[in-house]
Amino acid sequence: MLTTEDIKGVIEKRGSSKEHLMFILRDLENISGNNQLEIDVLEKVAEITKIPKSTIAGFVGFYTMFKTNPRAPFIIRVCKSGPCHVMGARTIFDAVERNLGIKPGEATPDGLFYLEQCECLGVCSVAPAMMINYDIHGNLTEKKIKQILESYKSQKAIFGEKCGPEVEGKACVIDDDRQTKRLLVMVGKVDPLSIDSYIKNGGYAAIRKAIREYSSDDVINIVKDSGLSGRGGAGFPAGLKWSFMPKGDMQKYVICNADEGEPGTFKDRVLMEENPHLIIEGMLLCGYATGATVGYIYVRGEFRRAIERLQRAIDQARESRMLGKHLSGSTFSFDIFIKEGGGAYVCGEESSLMNSMEGKRGFPRFRPPFPAGAGFMGMPSNVNNVETYASVPMIIEHGATWYKSLGTEKCSGTKLYCLSGKLNRTGLVELPMGTTLRELIDIYGKGIKDGKTFKFAQVGGSAGGVFGEDLLDLPLDIDQTIKAGVTLGSGVVLACDKDTCAVDFLLNIISFFAHESCGQCVPCRVGTSQLHFLAKKFAMRTAVEKDIDSMIEKAQLMKQASLCALGQSPILPITTTLKYFREEFLNHCNTRYSCPECDMTLERFYR
Amino acid sequence: MQEIKFTINGKDVTGGKGQTILEIALKNGFDIPYLCYHPKISKTGACRMCIVRVNEVMLKTACTEPAMEGMKVITEDEEIIKIRKGILELLLAEGDHNCLYCDANGACELQTLVHRYNIDQVAYEYPKRNREIDYESSEGLKRNENRCILCGRCVKACGEIQLSNVWSFTDRGGHTHLTSGLYEKIGDSSCVKCGACVQLCPTGSLSFQTVLGRGENWELTKESSICIYCGVGCKIDYYKNKEGLLVKTIGHDDGPNRGHLCVKGRFGFDFIQNGKRLSKPLIKRNGVFEEASWDEALDLVASKFIEIKDKYGPDSIAALSSAKCTNEENYLMQKIMRAVIGTNNVDHCARL
Repeated sequence: MLTTEDIKGVIEKRGSSKEHLMFILRDLENISGNNQLEIDVLEKVAEITKIPKSTIAGFVGFYTMFKTNPRAPFIIRVCKSGPCHVMGARTIFDAVERNLGIKPGEATPDGLFYLEQCECLGVCSVAPAMMINYDIHGNLTEKKIKQILESYKSQKAIFGEKCGPEVEGKACVIDDDRQTKRLLVMVGKVDPLSIDSYIKNGGYAAIRKAIREYSSDDVINIVKDSGLSGRGGAGFPAGLKWSFMPKGDMQKYVICNADEGEPGTFKDRVLMEENPHLIIEGMLLCGYATGATVGYIYVRGEFRRAIERLQRAIDQARESRMLGKHLSGSTFSFDIFIKEGGGAYVCGEESSLMNSMEGKRGFPRFRPPFPAGAGFMGMPSNVNNVETYASVPMIIEHGATWYKSLGTEKCSGTKLYCLSGKLNRTGLVELPMGTTLRELIDIYGKGIKDGKTFKFAQVGGSAGGVFGEDLLDLPLDIDQTIKAGVTLGSGVVLACDKDTCAVDFLLNIISFFAHESCGQCVPCRVGTSQLHFLAKKFAMRTAVEKDIDSMIEKAQLMKQASLCALGQSPILPITTTLKYFREEFLNHCNTRYSCPECDMTLERFYR
Repeated sequence: MQEIKFTINGKDVTGGKGQTILEIALKNGFDIPYLCYHPKISKTGACRMCIVRVNEVMLKTACTEPAMEGMKVITEDEEIIKIRKGILELLLAEGDHNCLYCDANGACELQTLVHRYNIDQVAYEYPKRNREIDYESSEGLKRNENRCILCGRCVKACGEIQLSNVWSFTDRGGHTHLTSGLYEKIGDSSCVKCGACVQLCPTGSLSFQTVLGRGENWELTKESSICIYCGVGCKIDYYKNKEGLLVKTIGHDDGPNRGHLCVKGRFGFDFIQNGKRLSKPLIKRNGVFEEASWDEALDLVASKFIEIKDKYGPDSIAALSSAKCTNEENYLMQKIMRAVIGTNNVDHCARL
């Protein structure tokens, strides 16, 4: 039990205003000994911070990483999202359960471990994965799990630089010289813990050049000319977005969306872990261009090492006067702070992200107002993805024409593609925008694993469409995918072989949306639950043919009427899966149809 | 406010810049359905019922979309009707909306829309989650969250009007539900029983304890009056049933209270029809209270005051005035004490 002094100490360190609630609660949970936020503790927090009790209750209830019930010193979170599911997450649950004798939601009798399910941990190239407290373990096998669990029995829970994926960011990059590395060129060469190493490799030259040679409008125009489009998934032109920021002396914010939660995506984590200064420099350039003086990086709470390294980079940048007042002797001042997530996919949606930053439930906001009009704390804010900011320094350094020399006509530059699933080689590759799926799978993925045949690939994450063989030669850029009725999204390629059951795959995706819907707007809140129910019917082989139409109808309603992109998303994976595998869904309507994949999922998650 | 002109269903309308389509449409008599919107609270945009067509292509929620010069708004077409029906069907499937058992029957915004859009009984197969039913912990309100559509009006009523912040959503997705305080029962929370949440609730999820079994909503008649409890003078609509029994109060928008009430105005009306209520002056004679006329009673009080004043001096008398009195009455009280009795011993219960 934490004392009032403990609680006061944490609040004093973090600050008592609502925007620090995530930090306060995370600290308290970490020092609680059994990863619990007791009601009494929350009550004290409410009393000291003057935040209403109901607000704290709503906050804790929203973010899945927090729990009010007792857990244990070590929380084991096994990922059940798409890539891990395809690579055998269900057997991992079995292995953990066999080893420890507990089911999800239970603690071991010795009180050491507590088991939970979780969604994507961002190490999809080494799926299946699990996270113990903040250490992420990948490439799991039964034997490895045993060793890992054994090793924790003699350890104390730690939090810090040592946390994070055992597989380092740079090891997740595919080693192949045929790549066109721009964003990744320094990954593995630059020491992420040292600003000197970054500067020695040409770092912070772009911001110095901008301050020296360009006006803020020049920077915006160069980014506009470069054709850089947002890399988070929506693909909005970055320079145009920056130009929406109002002129004037009001407080403005630059926000970096590092809540990388789209299943299958791990590009931002690699950038944050391996080259944090690149992101800081990108944000500095955006601050310089838009007149913002404060930047925030919202990192998902699971990415402990990324948070540690970014914080260290920020501290170093402040010491080296790359952050702070009057940078490079100019009138430009800029500083960056980190905000953390708490386990909510929807917070990757920019308006939810800002609500979350303010210490609120991650409900998306209606638009207008747009972030450039009223964003974080109601002030003009520019939100971009990690990869987007990381692309800016090179544009300023080498110019728009150079940047446009790669990519397709409408989508310039390179793209980080995240390869996962049933491939002989998985990981991150950087290639010109418009690389085809065939090239990604055959060359960089070295073909489908174990000589099996390709069935489909989901491109763009859980919200993305399913690609059959007919789309293997579609150039994967923002434009052409949309024209083909699919999406590039965040650049995920999750490849599946003939062993994958389309029904089971879709059930997994829909269960993800049902779990991650924020619950604010009716179409998404009820729609995702009902879609989940219907998809489960196919897996249970109790569905009838018209349930296919019901699914499409509901997803269509969600597409038309949902408040944010999350509710508008399920239609794409549903219709594209049905486009290729309607027959499989019909087969599942037969009660006697045999499907070991569906059986395994039902047994694991719905018993 | 800068004036803007645009059309709704082909008719020219004018409104102020910054106003939403819904605000202007309602003012001009257009009937756009809504559930989470309420004029007394900030915009939510979550129920999606008020989706309208803007400039022939876009679908926008009228409650959040600012009206723009030259905009063309269509409040309903085939696609919109389909969406609204779809949303209502989702809501009916999510909760337990059986009007037979519901206090809001006949005064329910959800019921009205279900009738308006001809919704059939929805499939029962979809999973429902049992949410909280609490008819007992609070003396003022009761809740049955299975009738809740999670519109959030209660959360905002408490947070923005009463500023008590008792309600919040917790959990998320299909598991979203309401909590009062830190997962407390409403009666154990810091609720001050102002009833603002009940007044704004569009369904029977929140209701007053006082209405229990005291008549159907369509049998109730209302009369407006002024609250007797304090000098603010809140305007209240008192609802009485067929038997003439008062069953509930709703804050009236025209008063200084703008529709809001406190616990006294909201629930403190049972004395009116209580058999023990004094309706004539009583004078205690030989240890027993006996009915008297007003003249008798007032003469007696006056003579006793004079007697006390003569015997012990004016400062032996003090007056404590009531917050139930108007400012004018309070003025008269101090005037009589100073000018007639001759003392400054004047105080007021609101100062305690």
